[in-house]
Amino acid sequence: METEGGRISGSQLLALLVLTRLVPVTIEFPLVTGIEVPQDAWISSLVGTVLSIPPVLLMVHLSLKYPDKTIIEYSQLLLGKFFGKIIGFVLVWYWLSIAATMLRSVGDAYTTAVMPETPILAFILTVGFLSANAARTGLEVVGRLGEVNMLVVLLFGFLTLTLPYKVMNFENLLPVIAKGIRPIMLPTGTAISFFVQFIILGMVVPYLNNPQTLTKSSLGAIAISGFMMTAFTVALIAVFGPTVSSLMLPAFSLGRMISIGEFLERIEIIPMGAWTITVAITLAFFLWASAVAIAQLLGLRRFQALIYPLAAISVAFSILFFESFLDLELYFKEVWVPYSLTLTLGITIILYVASLIRGRSSASEKVIGSCHRNG
Amino acid sequence: MSPKWLSKFISFIFMTAFLASTLTGCWSRREIETLGFVTALGVDRTEEGEIEITVHIAKPFAVARGTEGGVSTEKGFWTVSSTGSTAFEAMRNLLLQSPRRPFYAHNRFILIGEEYARAGVKDILDLFARNGETRRLARVEVIKGSTAKDFMQQVEFELERLPSEGEEGISRSVEVGLSSQPVECTLNSFLQWLETEGMEPIAVRLELIPKKPDAPINVGELLREQVRASSKHGGAAVFKGDKLVGWLDETEMRGVNWVTGKVKSGILVIDQPNEKGKLVSLEILRAKSKFQPEVKNAQVSVTVKIEAEASLGEIQGTLDPMKYPQAWTEMESQMAEAIKREVMAAISKAKELNSDIFGFGAALNRKQPKEWASLKDRWDLEFQRIDVKLEVEAKLRRMGLVTRSSEPK
Repeated sequence: METEGGRISGSQLLALLVLTRLVPVTIEFPLVTGIEVPQDAWISSLVGTVLSIPPVLLMVHLSLKYPDKTIIEYSQLLLGKFFGKIIGFVLVWYWLSIAATMLRSVGDAYTTAVMPETPILAFILTVGFLSANAARTGLEVVGRLGEVNMLVVLLFGFLTLTLPYKVMNFENLLPVIAKGIRPIMLPTGTAISFFVQFIILGMVVPYLNNPQTLTKSSLGAIAISGFMMTAFTVALIAVFGPTVSSLMLPAFSLGRMISIGEFLERIEIIPMGAWTITVAITLAFFLWASAVAIAQLLGLRRFQALIYPLAAISVAFSILFFESFLDLELYFKEVWVPYSLTLTLGITIILYVASLIRGRSSASEKVIGSCHRNG
Repeated sequence: MSPKWLSKFISFIFMTAFLASTLTGCWSRREIETLGFVTALGVDRTEEGEIEITVHIAKPFAVARGTEGGVSTEKGFWTVSSTGSTAFEAMRNLLLQSPRRPFYAHNRFILIGEEYARAGVKDILDLFARNGETRRLARVEVIKGSTAKDFMQQVEFELERLPSEGEEGISRSVEVGLSSQPVECTLNSFLQWLETEGMEPIAVRLELIPKKPDAPINVGELLREQVRASSKHGGAAVFKGDKLVGWLDETEMRGVNWVTGKVKSGILVIDQPNEKGKLVSLEILRAKSKFQPEVKNAQVSVTVKIEAEASLGEIQGTLDPMKYPQAWTEMESQMAEAIKREVMAAISKAKELNSDIFGFGAALNRKQPKEWASLKDRWDLEFQRIDVKLEVEAKLRRMGLVTRSSEPK
């Protein structure tokens, strides 16, 4: 019995991972908002990207050991039914909490930037409903959506980055690391804490056309999204200087600085388009993963039935978790980094250690068995 | 009729209805006829201590061409002010007087009265950075010797129907750099200067120029009118922190632009080498400059290197550069002297106002962050005794379409 019948290609997985990582670049950008030494943020971005490679490679390595099983299935295999299911539910909780923050972000961004009178629920419901419909159609559709729209988002990002060239002053990037290493560490942690969301690839591996492309697509996703993030950071510092740490929606503010001639201006619709697309597709991806995970945990045949309830839960979470935009910013600043890092790294390391122990014991069992037969 | 087909049809209807009702954005809808487009905004403080906002709102029916094809003779804008204890409240109070909701997205100018600027502008700028309707690219300009309200009630330009269009035209030629005497200052750059260590903000200086009343109006075919007052854009308002502390005139401002490398063009006037009391004007063609701060033995020095090229634009008296090639080199050295004079004027004025408008401190921070960390607390004192070394390389390249000036018999 298979809960998900579709298959996606390595490049589709890459697109989904890139979009996942770009959500916290196109809307709020916790890497620059509220940090101590704004002109060093780009270093944090670079270092964070590089430091994210080992944990993601560990996740990839673990998944490739069991290429026909999702992380939900092999954690039960490695830790036994009970502990494996606990890990599964923790992961579902993690994905749903991310879905809730994404919904809240997009709602808050719309109400802050363009339509302050509209109730936030109007945006959250629209995006949630559309994403749920996409997720119901299965991984194949979500993957194709991602593949097409990643190019759109990268184009939008590229335009937002380059068009305000007139107001850029690259002297703002200097001096480099003048205040020591310590102020760089927290933003670096923030950068990594979003990369470890890639643990979701554990859900996709059995549905890949060719599981061997996994390493390439995850590293490619890190490279592309890391490059975009660093480029954004550099552009933001060049345009806004030290005031960048005061920006609520940095990419949107960057789009508002575009003014070329007298005709190409007021095109903040570009970053808005980017944030809507990234959130909608990433949300569909996360809803799909949570639904398939729950279906596998409980032994259900169809995950589709779970999508609407899960979407409704994330909409409710997004309203209940946060009272205001300030709550969301403080969540990213104070809660998110330790929460995401310990949860994902913790699970990955536990599973990896378990797989080592199991690998050794099963190997020795085999040896013992063969001895018996010989004897 | 299969049930599967039916359920698909029903979900299609449902989706369409859902999207149609949510995607139109009817909640925050604003029709264009209900909006009054603010083209300029002024800030003052009343005698009672309240904040007074003055706006120019464009009158679309007066600016647009009439159906007969002629241009309406009506004034193209409406000036209105209101007060409140904060700027946002004052702006909202405008609604009590304006039949159309003031819409700030197209506002290009934030004008600040001199008195208000002297008390500090930070509080007012927060609103414009925070609000989603206003733009960070709006220009920050300070009115010398007047309140923003007085200025906005009187100023008009002969060539444009809206004063903001007039000021925009002037700002554009400033941006291109035809005179290099004023400064460019948007809200974004002002906020940055305010937060950058070792750098003080400067803003555009505007002055009201009263015009003499016209000669008695002759009754004739043509409508003769003259604006009562116009404005002049030049020099700069110098801030210390967020408080206005003084003014730079046009020469001093170009001195600042020489240092920061923003001079693109302009006219330099020097003595005629051949004839006493006569002058020569040079047109600056291009200029490059950079400055390097340095700390040696607890003394901060700045080396400013300027390279400028000019062409001979005008000669008074008689001079034939073909016959006296040494006059050419003399004019070049005079040109270098003229540039030095402008830079020194700017530096002594900045020292007098004790405001590091060049960003010498910021440059030092970029180059030697450790030295800067030890200096920044007493930068006010260090800036006073900063030693500026000037290296100017001036070149005359062309002389126009004639060689000698005309020689009357």
